[in-house]
Amino acid sequence: MTEQKVNSSSTPKPYHSELSAFWWLKHRYYLLYMLREATVLPLLFFLGCLMYGLYSLSQSEQHWLGFVAFMQQGWVIALNLLAFVASLFHAKTFFELFPRVMPLAPAALMIAGQWLATLGVATVLFLMLGAG
Amino acid sequence: MKPVNTQPKRSDEPIWWALFSAGGVCFAVFLPGLMLLLGVLWPLGFLELSPLNYASLQQLAAFGYGIPALALVGACICLPLFHAAHRIHHGMHDLKLNTGLAGKLLCYGLAALLSATALALLWCVLKQPLV
Repeated sequence: MTEQKVNSSSTPKPYHSELSAFWWLKHRYYLLYMLREATVLPLLFFLGCLMYGLYSLSQSEQHWLGFVAFMQQGWVIALNLLAFVASLFHAKTFFELFPRVMPLAPAALMIAGQWLATLGVATVLFLMLGAG
Repeated sequence: MKPVNTQPKRSDEPIWWALFSAGGVCFAVFLPGLMLLLGVLWPLGFLELSPLNYASLQQLAAFGYGIPALALVGACICLPLFHAAHRIHHGMHDLKLNTGLAGKLLCYGLAALLSATALALLWCVLKQPLV
């Protein structure tokens, strides 16, 4: 009955598909996309740590020791470990994008080269900061 | 047929995309090592990290580390901030939060403000008298 009523009106109602704010939970591919976008959240935490470090460095040794104690807290280390893992996930997606945007060499070679750059920076930092 | 608009309004998106892209490279190349070393291994005491003592850090700054330090802060803080701002700005749209222009201004404005703060802090570190 109600269906007939709708059909009898002069102009049909336009169809609107309802998209929930949680559309990205419906498919693994969408979820990975959202996870990639979310890699910036732990990144922001780490950037905050760096800025706190800069601030304490500009103040006094007391402040600096306070910063060191802050960094040694379990939850801070856990969040920074998460940031590290997130950075690797971001790097994987970012490195795979580059040969598609600018195919200068075989894709596998370009991706390997970029990972080598990341590894190189980490190694230089490790040597600079004094390996225990 | 509609006449071709010879003076189209220029989009500001290339600026944000360039900053996002440059920040993405820094996030992928510089930050993993920095996060692992400063965020995890150093606090856990796995590294000697003698330059991270307060006095030696100050000496490091005094020995004309101005330009490299500036590049380091730019690559490790400022550009990644704009990268994050871009992802959050578009992520809000993905989550169906229609924040519009205010959201955009907030994201990129905060990135700019925090970048300026980081550079100012670096300036304070470099200009600080030695203990």
